Amino acid sequence: MITIIYRLIVVLAAVLVMAELFSQKSAKLKINAAIILVPLALRALMIA
Amino acid sequence: MDSTVKKFPRLPLSLGLVAAVCLVLGLVIPSDLEMRKPDTIRKGPGVTEVKRLSDWFPGLKGSAGDSEVYVLDSGKPGGSALVIGGTHPNEPAGWMTAIILVENAKPESGKLFIITNANASGFTHTDYMEGEPRHFTILGASGPRKFRFGSRATSPVDQWPDPDIYVHAASGQRLSGSETRNLNRAYPGRPDGTFTEKVTFAITSMILAERIDVTVDLHEASPEYPVINAIVAHDRAMKVASVAVLNLEFDGVTMGLEPSPVKLHGLSHRELGDATDTLAILMEAANPSQGRLRGVTDEALILKGQDPFYLKAKALGRLFVPYDAKGWPLETRVGRHAAGLAAIFAAWSEQHPDRPITYEGIPSYDEFVAGGLGKLL
Repeated sequence: MITIIYRLIVVLAAVLVMAELFSQKSAKLKINAAIILVPLALRALMIA
Repeated sequence: MDSTVKKFPRLPLSLGLVAAVCLVLGLVIPSDLEMRKPDTIRKGPGVTEVKRLSDWFPGLKGSAGDSEVYVLDSGKPGGSALVIGGTHPNEPAGWMTAIILVENAKPESGKLFIITNANASGFTHTDYMEGEPRHFTILGASGPRKFRFGSRATSPVDQWPDPDIYVHAASGQRLSGSETRNLNRAYPGRPDGTFTEKVTFAITSMILAERIDVTVDLHEASPEYPVINAIVAHDRAMKVASVAVLNLEFDGVTMGLEPSPVKLHGLSHRELGDATDTLAILMEAANPSQGRLRGVTDEALILKGQDPFYLKAKALGRLFVPYDAKGWPLETRVGRHAAGLAAIFAAWSEQHPDRPITYEGIPSYDEFVAGGLGKLL
């Protein structure tokens, strides 16, 4: 159960970061969002 | 059009970044998934049955902890022994010895149970921040054989989160939180415990159900660790272990003998000896690729055990084993384990002539050192 909750939180965070990536005007902030997406996606997929 | 531009400014850049993220994931994920594929282990001439830990504890069925157990039954009366490899997947001499037994040993009397990947979950990842390779390759008689080099502990994918303090259930002993995923701190295990405790519970259940006479857990240790090139034996196993050590000395293999500490809980040589009737023994070889003083950690270090920093540490008197430019090659470490097993089973058979454990097909220590592992794989 704790793993499901964890993954749901990670997926939610990834969706919000993805939204930021598309909504931000600044290229720097877009790149930041892209970098943050990588570990979030790996966590969501349970890649160690 | 204007509203789209306002809603998604610099859309091409955003899409390009998403593509870059996908590219990174595409590069990383296959490497991780490859570690989840079990190594190829061939059934040798002595293997009569392949079981799984879930045969003794169904709670493991279908999980990453349901390791294979190879049964080598001579069909003749004798004792029974369990060889455990892969308790710590970053200690390759232990599980390579188990694999070589599975693929080459022919039992002559008694019954052998061999686990090559005791902590199968630990083989699916490497330790963080250690810069270790994920695989190493040995040129075998049938071509290159690729083996995983894993972590000391269960993967956090299978067991998390770690507590701040790990309390060993049977004794109340307190250890650091990450030790909760260490198979050799989780014996005798619990059916309703953590993933790691379930694996040790299955091994304990197997020993009880099969009435295993002798259990040998194969490990490696850092050259700067004091318990090394040694046999650690439970109180009841001392008679067998001490005779084995003497015979190894006669054969030119120097081996220390350590009593299993009574107050150090969770380890195989303590808990299996206390919880079952088996004679519980653990063996350590010298592995520079897991030490804290090592330099570059690559396949060569795993296979050859040669490291300039360990040479310097030896000159400074910091090591507990001999160390020179030859290092500690894998074949020497496996040879020590194989010779140790032979000596232990010979001592057991001498002391229990009605229940011998004997097998053929495994070279002597000198043959391992001279001939390497390739011809056995």
